[in-house]
Amino acid sequence: MTPQFFFTNIPGMEDNTIISFAGVGARYENNPDILTDVSFNISAGSFYFLSGASGAGKTTLLRLIYHLHRPCRGTIKIFGNPTNSMSRDEITEMRHKMAIVFQEYSLLSHISVFDNVALPLRVRGMDEAKIKKLVTKTLEWVGLAKYANANPKTLSGGQQQRVSVARAIIVQPSIMLADEPTGNLDDENASRLMELFIQMNKMFNTTIILATHNSKLMETYRFPIMHVENHKLTFSGPTHPHISAKKTAPEIHDVGYFADLSKQFNDIGNK
Amino acid sequence: MKKPIVFSLFHDQSVFMTAIMGIMTFLAVLSLGLALAIGTGIVNWNRQWDVHATVQVTNNEKIDTIKRVFETNQDKIDTIRQINDDEMSTLMKPWLGGGNGVLKKYLPTMFEIKFKSRADMNTVGNLVGNNARFIPHHDALRPSISAGWKMVMILTLLLGLIIVTIGTCVSFIARNTAILHKRELEILNQVGASDHFVTKQMQMIVAKICTTACGIGFIVACPILIMIVGVARSARVGLMAMLEISGAGWIALLLVPFIIVLFAIMVTKRTTLKILNCES
Repeated sequence: MTPQFFFTNIPGMEDNTIISFAGVGARYENNPDILTDVSFNISAGSFYFLSGASGAGKTTLLRLIYHLHRPCRGTIKIFGNPTNSMSRDEITEMRHKMAIVFQEYSLLSHISVFDNVALPLRVRGMDEAKIKKLVTKTLEWVGLAKYANANPKTLSGGQQQRVSVARAIIVQPSIMLADEPTGNLDDENASRLMELFIQMNKMFNTTIILATHNSKLMETYRFPIMHVENHKLTFSGPTHPHISAKKTAPEIHDVGYFADLSKQFNDIGNK
Repeated sequence: MKKPIVFSLFHDQSVFMTAIMGIMTFLAVLSLGLALAIGTGIVNWNRQWDVHATVQVTNNEKIDTIKRVFETNQDKIDTIRQINDDEMSTLMKPWLGGGNGVLKKYLPTMFEIKFKSRADMNTVGNLVGNNARFIPHHDALRPSISAGWKMVMILTLLLGLIIVTIGTCVSFIARNTAILHKRELEILNQVGASDHFVTKQMQMIVAKICTTACGIGFIVACPILIMIVGVARSARVGLMAMLEISGAGWIALLLVPFIIVLFAIMVTKRTTLKILNCES
């Protein structure tokens, strides 16, 4: 991979910048830095792979973007707003436009699949009738409608990951962060999940950063790659990965959003 | 929000919390109830003896003078009764023992008087002056009344301690729940739950558990309280016979479970916000 400059050097790109890092360092407690002097800008509607060895700092980078971890130095701007000095309420507000998917699913095992997917809408105080409509549609879309009342623990790894994706996607985020989402899936299901992310990116201008070890995936889908190595971040791959068809994400009540996507993902992982 | 989403997790602690809150409410209702019963008893007792006095004439030569004072002030006296020798002997028996006949001549002449008002009692008391001992009953009862108020204070202190214990228990339960379910809190955080949302969830569950527990505690405490007051009154001795819980007292007692539930909700909010802020 050839390290490349990034969007800061492209005229006019700054206005469209959705994620911006300037001299960011990160560490856990008093341990040495995991990331040092990381600087980049990412424009809205981009799709990136995030690669690197285990423990290199991929998850930390995603956690920094989602503000699950605070940088020890430098400035992070999300949607043009510096996150360093944000209050907890402001962070929550910011997260309402973002979603994160983890390899280990992060599902609540004591509530049903339906309630897991409904969770982000409930915490936003959405009306129950709307929630029911949206969750049903989303579960149909990820091919898990018949498991709505099931406990997530009774599902396979691939199915649990789809519940996790459904939960992330139901809020129609402007930024989607995915930490090894295909890590527990076979090739076919990994490809189907990738198609889902690509559709989101193309149709709804969702900015996606997808951390993966899977080199086959990166070769198949030729998106630019953010590579974490020796505490530094480098970029490779095409510089203009995507020109979005839409400039803004759709309204959250737009069920058509899922109707469109469902054509692609009706039976994902059911085989 | 129709139902608590996440903190069915609280079930782990709900039995313990219901038990502890039930016991605490029981103790709080009991201590406040007894404080109210004793307080009301003291007030009633005081009121009953407020215009009563005993006049003790030790010098027989002064009896006529004293009687004259009573006659000239009849308008100020409601009732007057001279305690006869037999009554005196009975009253003094614990101290004098047998030989009443010999000692009879040494007994003072005593009058038990009920005045029309406190002012009338003071006027007559001044007129009696040094001719006899004028003993207002409220003065004589002062040590017993003081002991009664001290008991009220102790029970109030106990109530305060119970409230502090409730606050500590609720705080620890909220803290334990947060520690036990750290992962779930993180997930809530990840899906964009605000602190207000998480706190509200915790408060809903605490309110539910505490309402049940406090209701049970109150229902169990009431008959026991009625029984204690009833047994005390049946003794028909001094202050004990005067114990009573008024209508206002029962309303105050009815408020206890509500106040405990509100207090628990308040403590839960404070603790949860503190935990969430520490985690950030």
